Amino acid sequence: MRNGVVITGMGVVSSLGDSPTALHSSLCDSRNGIRPIQLFDPTGLACQLGAEVPAFDGQSYLSGKNLRPLNRTSRLVASAAKLALEDSGWSESLRSEEEVGLVLGTMFCSLQTISAFDRRALEAGPRFASPLDFSNTVINAAAGQTAILHNLRGINSTISAGVTSGLQAISYATDLIRTGRSRVLLAGGADELCFESFYGFERAGRLCRSNDTDGDFPIPFDARRNGMVLGEGAALLVLEDAAFARERGVEPIAEIVGHGSSFDFSQGRDEQLSAAAVGHSVQEALRDAHVLPHEIDCLSASANGSPAEDRHEAQGLVLGLNGQTHRLPVTAIKSMLGEALGAGAALQAVSMVETMHGGVLPGIRNLEEVETDFPFDLASRDNQEVDVRIGLINSVGFDGQCCSLVLAR
Amino acid sequence: MNIADIRASVKASVARIANLDPEEISDSASYKDDLLLDSLTILEIAVDAEYQFKVKIADELLSEIRTVDDTVMIVQQHLELAVV
Amino acid sequence: MNRRRIVVTGIGVITPIGAGRELFWTNLLAGSCGIGPVRSFDTSAYKVHLGAEVQDFQPELYVSNLEVARLGRASQFAIAAARLALRDANVELASLDRKRVGVSMGTTSGEPREVERFDDLVVAGKLGQIGPEFLARYPSHLIAAHIAQEFQLTGVNTMIPTACAAGNYALAHAFDTLRAGRTDLMLAGGADAFSRITFTGFAQLGAIAPEICQPFDRCRKGMIPGEGAGVLVLESLDHAKRRGARIYGEVIGYGLSCDAHHMTAAHPYGEGAVRAMTQALEQSGIKPEDISYISAHGTGTPTNDRLETLAVKSVFKQAAYSIPISSIKSMLGHTMGAASAIEAAVCALAIHHNRIPPTINWETPDPDCDLDYVPNSARVHEVRIAMNNAYAFGGNNASLILKRCEVAN
Repeated sequence: MRNGVVITGMGVVSSLGDSPTALHSSLCDSRNGIRPIQLFDPTGLACQLGAEVPAFDGQSYLSGKNLRPLNRTSRLVASAAKLALEDSGWSESLRSEEEVGLVLGTMFCSLQTISAFDRRALEAGPRFASPLDFSNTVINAAAGQTAILHNLRGINSTISAGVTSGLQAISYATDLIRTGRSRVLLAGGADELCFESFYGFERAGRLCRSNDTDGDFPIPFDARRNGMVLGEGAALLVLEDAAFARERGVEPIAEIVGHGSSFDFSQGRDEQLSAAAVGHSVQEALRDAHVLPHEIDCLSASANGSPAEDRHEAQGLVLGLNGQTHRLPVTAIKSMLGEALGAGAALQAVSMVETMHGGVLPGIRNLEEVETDFPFDLASRDNQEVDVRIGLINSVGFDGQCCSLVLAR
Repeated sequence: MNIADIRASVKASVARIANLDPEEISDSASYKDDLLLDSLTILEIAVDAEYQFKVKIADELLSEIRTVDDTVMIVQQHLELAVV
Repeated sequence: MNRRRIVVTGIGVITPIGAGRELFWTNLLAGSCGIGPVRSFDTSAYKVHLGAEVQDFQPELYVSNLEVARLGRASQFAIAAARLALRDANVELASLDRKRVGVSMGTTSGEPREVERFDDLVVAGKLGQIGPEFLARYPSHLIAAHIAQEFQLTGVNTMIPTACAAGNYALAHAFDTLRAGRTDLMLAGGADAFSRITFTGFAQLGAIAPEICQPFDRCRKGMIPGEGAGVLVLESLDHAKRRGARIYGEVIGYGLSCDAHHMTAAHPYGEGAVRAMTQALEQSGIKPEDISYISAHGTGTPTNDRLETLAVKSVFKQAAYSIPISSIKSMLGHTMGAASAIEAAVCALAIHHNRIPPTINWETPDPDCDLDYVPNSARVHEVRIAMNNAYAFGGNNASLILKRCEVAN
């Protein structure tokens, strides 16, 4: 016997808007969140594009709070949390009575702060390192700061699983509610764009080799793709025990019915293993949801324009869905949001819920030519009208993590 | 550096660190009791004073820093020592 | 209650007082101290100079599939501890379905030395010398990923970086995945590497003891940063019996809570710690007075030890005075994300051997810390049920309970 888990609210701070509706309509308008970088000086970098959250410092969402102790990631998370709590009706007074928790997925969290702390110690001497910055160098800092700001005294956890962090966090939170450990949890993910991680990706050869500010690239699944573009943001879902939400008199906006995960130990070097891991993750999620492949109405892919990984994901999805991919509408919203790392899959979840309600699936921006064996006939640059009762969200990391989530309307 | 400059710089630091309006920070206000700052923030203010003015303040003296006046005085003493 | 029972069948540790369960346990009971002058970097610019570093670590002894040079130090520790745990549990990986063998690890800072390398180059104006290795070695999720890569595992793979409580969180998650039937066997624990970043930070907070680590002693002045890894093999009781595995103990429950109070200072009444312990007891279905031994968080800072004592008394009331509670951080220093994993292993060993390790360096009683801290000498003691407590930056608290495995015949 396991408790049902429903979504009762969502909060988003992204390069394409700070509400689920704003995000969704931007995606459906094919607007590009990827622009020339402004957060740091990209001179000398081969890729100078990123999907930043424009003009963000958190003040407008968190007015009246002292934000100095919070780094950018913490502010993104705290802002998205505020929006999600408002969206679901979890007011301050309600939160003083119920232990609302937070499970946050993030890949780097505080890399910028860690580096700044270390560099000041190197340059001026360890005697002058900032104690306040140190408290933010732990990877659970954003979750901790957000809990303090919003009085979230329930279970507080941080999951670090690369690109799949957000989806793993949602899965982890789902299980806590299913087993009765918690009744309400914020769950999702975040990461900030910063020079250190950006440079790391560039030096690893993962970024797209185009600085076309018209933003042709990245183009997930397209035969011309040549790398990802980094993004940032925060997206949090409010997950609740279904019966508890009913008692509260709240109408859920979607239900989480299953999740699964797997791992590719070949680090992307063995196509078969890579695809098998994706396939297994999908199968586990379907099994957990008691759903058959043909019952999936819509798919949100992880594809971000990485030459090998997009391909492995496509092959893996064929395996996971028993070949039932040709008539399955698919989108890849990282075509417009970039690879927002910890926030990525959580943004996919938000977008899927919007698609379920609005009946429109955003197109894959600039998609023109796919490889000959590409298994999705219904991948298009254009929006599609869809009737989604059951949606599948897939997330694939470049260090082997695979995670899949099944939502029901 | 004269006292006025030190004071202005310290107040600017406190304002930045504690997210306060510099006008709200009186010279004698207690960081803890009047400005309601926690120990980590007060420590940050003290370390920031060391950093901005490139002085090293002994631990025992650091823990004596309770107000803007204290901070200014300790910094000034250390700057004078540095010159000598 | 028809729920799967989860047991500990293997223990692997890399610590400042020895590698491997046997040597570690012998040294622990003998009160060996792994604290000494820091060797891995120059501490002359600091006012404190002590650390608990792992000496003479030879990763080549434990890593065979991956290249040691491509692994960060924490990953090396983690793989070593995992290999030792698998050996200790007598696991034949070839006989298991690798899709159902997973990894759940905790950490505080991941691989901070990689950030240090990055920063050293930046400060020296040699940004161009940073290569693909930064992204290939730094992200903290790589600790769990590298374990799975080394042993070619394709099951769940999660990193839970909840700072100094991370080990307990990782073990709790492993427990949950096994109970839910997602996995058959889990490698779970924590790892952290000594770094100047961590050392600098704690030094700046004034948290590092200048001469000695003496938890609960009236003259205690602080903690000593350390490093290491602890990995436990967890599986269902049925699975263990079928394999004929030796069982150290059974994990019967856990409690997680969040202070939502302050990033580095615990709640003034230890309220979060109280909630974590209470939840763990409730979930395990046992009464406070049933606990035979508590492995304390016991860092040795004036505040932690006082608040922890307060919290224990709050939960156990009069029974607190008859339950021995010791801190092995007196010997290992604070091994950060590895700490509570190593301490959980100690609880399992305490149950297995009916012996409890001491809190060494204890000389002067403190009226605020008036419990039985097993001062200075290990003790023979009937340990039926043990509680492992851990508290972290960000207000993350976790308590784990292990019990002697009583199997009905």
